[in-house]
Amino acid sequence: MVFTQIVNLKINNMRQYLKISTLLVIVVALTLLSISFEEVINPKPWVDNEDYLFPRFISGGIAILGFLLFFEKDVLGKTTNYKDLLPGLGLLLVYILTMKYIGFYLASMILFFAVVMIYKKPEESTDFWRVCIFKLGIAALFTLALYGLFTEMLHVQPPKGMFF
Amino acid sequence: MEFLDYFANVFTLYHIALLVGGTFVGIILGALPGLSPTMSVALLIPFTFHMEPESGLILLGAMYTATVAGGAISAILVNVPGAPANIATAMDGHKMAKQGKSKEALHYCFISSFVGGIFGVVILIFFTPPLAELSLKFGTTELFWIAILGITIIATIDSKSVIKGLLSGLFGLMLATIGDNPVLGVERFVFTEHLTGGVNIVVGLIGLFAMPQVLNLMENYYSQKNAALSAVGSSTLMSSFRYVFGRAKALSIGSMIGSIIGIIPGAGGQIAGLVSYDQTKKFSKNSDNYGKGEPEGIVAAESANNSMVGPSLIPLLTLSIPGSPTAAVLLGGLLIHGIFPGHEIFETNKEVIWTFIDSLILAQFLMLFIGLFLSRHSGWIMKVPDNYMAVGIFVLAVFGTYSIGNSYSDVLIMVSLGTIMFFASKAGFSAVPVVLGIILGPIAENNFLLGKLIGGARFDGNWILYFTTGTINITLISICIISITYGVYSNRKSKNK
Repeated sequence: MVFTQIVNLKINNMRQYLKISTLLVIVVALTLLSISFEEVINPKPWVDNEDYLFPRFISGGIAILGFLLFFEKDVLGKTTNYKDLLPGLGLLLVYILTMKYIGFYLASMILFFAVVMIYKKPEESTDFWRVCIFKLGIAALFTLALYGLFTEMLHVQPPKGMFF
Repeated sequence: MEFLDYFANVFTLYHIALLVGGTFVGIILGALPGLSPTMSVALLIPFTFHMEPESGLILLGAMYTATVAGGAISAILVNVPGAPANIATAMDGHKMAKQGKSKEALHYCFISSFVGGIFGVVILIFFTPPLAELSLKFGTTELFWIAILGITIIATIDSKSVIKGLLSGLFGLMLATIGDNPVLGVERFVFTEHLTGGVNIVVGLIGLFAMPQVLNLMENYYSQKNAALSAVGSSTLMSSFRYVFGRAKALSIGSMIGSIIGIIPGAGGQIAGLVSYDQTKKFSKNSDNYGKGEPEGIVAAESANNSMVGPSLIPLLTLSIPGSPTAAVLLGGLLIHGIFPGHEIFETNKEVIWTFIDSLILAQFLMLFIGLFLSRHSGWIMKVPDNYMAVGIFVLAVFGTYSIGNSYSDVLIMVSLGTIMFFASKAGFSAVPVVLGIILGPIAENNFLLGKLIGGARFDGNWILYFTTGTINITLISICIISITYGVYSNRKSKNK
């Protein structure tokens, strides 16, 4: 239910969306600015204000430009197609979180297979099992190529998990 | 003629293999619509990390040259420029392809890219050392203003809104302050243990360029229609060479405009291609045929966007100001190998830099040969599905990020930055000023703090005077102001149209 609501989310009023984002930027900049002044927030006697001088100028600049952006006309941007984006973004996040438990190579193979199975065009074959086996084969070949390139040729270690 | 002393270094088996590999992969990546040269070079940087500096730079240079030229393949065959630099190429290139002359168009493209590329590298060879000498006069305050100027110029040129461009640059500078203070060593803005080491330059580069690309490919997967592939057609190589070299006017206009635009910080291949196309059209007898499949248009655009490559490295190597977005990424590549732009580059890293510059000449020849070879077989490149590309880029980005410091935190930072950038780009923000902020941030802060200490001692505590006096300081501040004013003016002008 919640997922359906999210994927159907359409921001018709892009201007409003941008204004809210700009306000968020201003709030973050002012927070950082206050951190650069307030030793109370970060009470370390050895921290001199001088250490935060440069970031103070930058966060001040961000806050000023944020205010100017808030009043800038015609700042409309592009809308986001959440319906097609969210499944992919979700898969990438799951991959990142599981990679360190199951290992880079296995996680990459699963991700590859999942992405090419979820994102498929209507003109692709309708024979599910045939498509499934073909894409699994491609995913395995892709992983094997990664292993050959990184581990065997370049001798670079990927994130390891419980498998390999 | 110092550059001749290091030519032999390029002709080792290892370096030639890197050049061939970089050029081949670069042309293919360039030809894939949506994969920009900037992203390709950014993705490659971590893999050069374990190489010798000159080998890493040779590979990056070959990739830079080849991706710009390779972008013309998709521009001609499917009317989708592989990179912004190839927009002007598509205007006549695709019309030729529709007339069944795509092979001929691809020949013109690679031959004129080669001529422009060689011209650009010659400019790079002869203009870099004198400009590097000029940077000898730069002290801490001048270096601070140079860093600010670099970000300001990129921010005002690369964005449709000056405010958004400058905000992006400041955001990059802010990211660069996470972690240790460069002078005093105190930890700042480390809200979580993942931020302890700050934002690594390469992590920032990959996150800001590769991740939004992956999300774009996923978001537009169903709406992106498969472009109709034009027939390759037939053409003899000799007749193509004769045609291109017979268009001396278009070649010279393209190469010269491309080189001049390359030297201007931040401008890049897109502007070079379009300006050159426009100027050649004005001086051409066949101006009425432009846009209808006129080969001269391809010659002008392609010679310009490739002649931009060499000169875009001049301000980068001498003043740390990149001449194009891809050159900004190359700056990251230089820094991770411990090479700092400026006059010292031709003293401390003389061999590395001259070998790199010399390799760019060989890269042009390889781009010509491999490009002409691929012209016959280029159709299959267009057939790589977007979903395969998206997952492939993402896995490489994750691995590349992790391999920098075997750090899982870096992967998290890369993904977070990239996702934020994807949504920010929807609102009109650009990744290039952010990247430049991350790269130039430490240089700016370091010189700011040192300048403040020196200025405070010299001017009785009034350190601001130290930053705002002196011919070079005043010139740099003036250019910053002019750049912002011009940006605001051109924004207003384009809004009124």
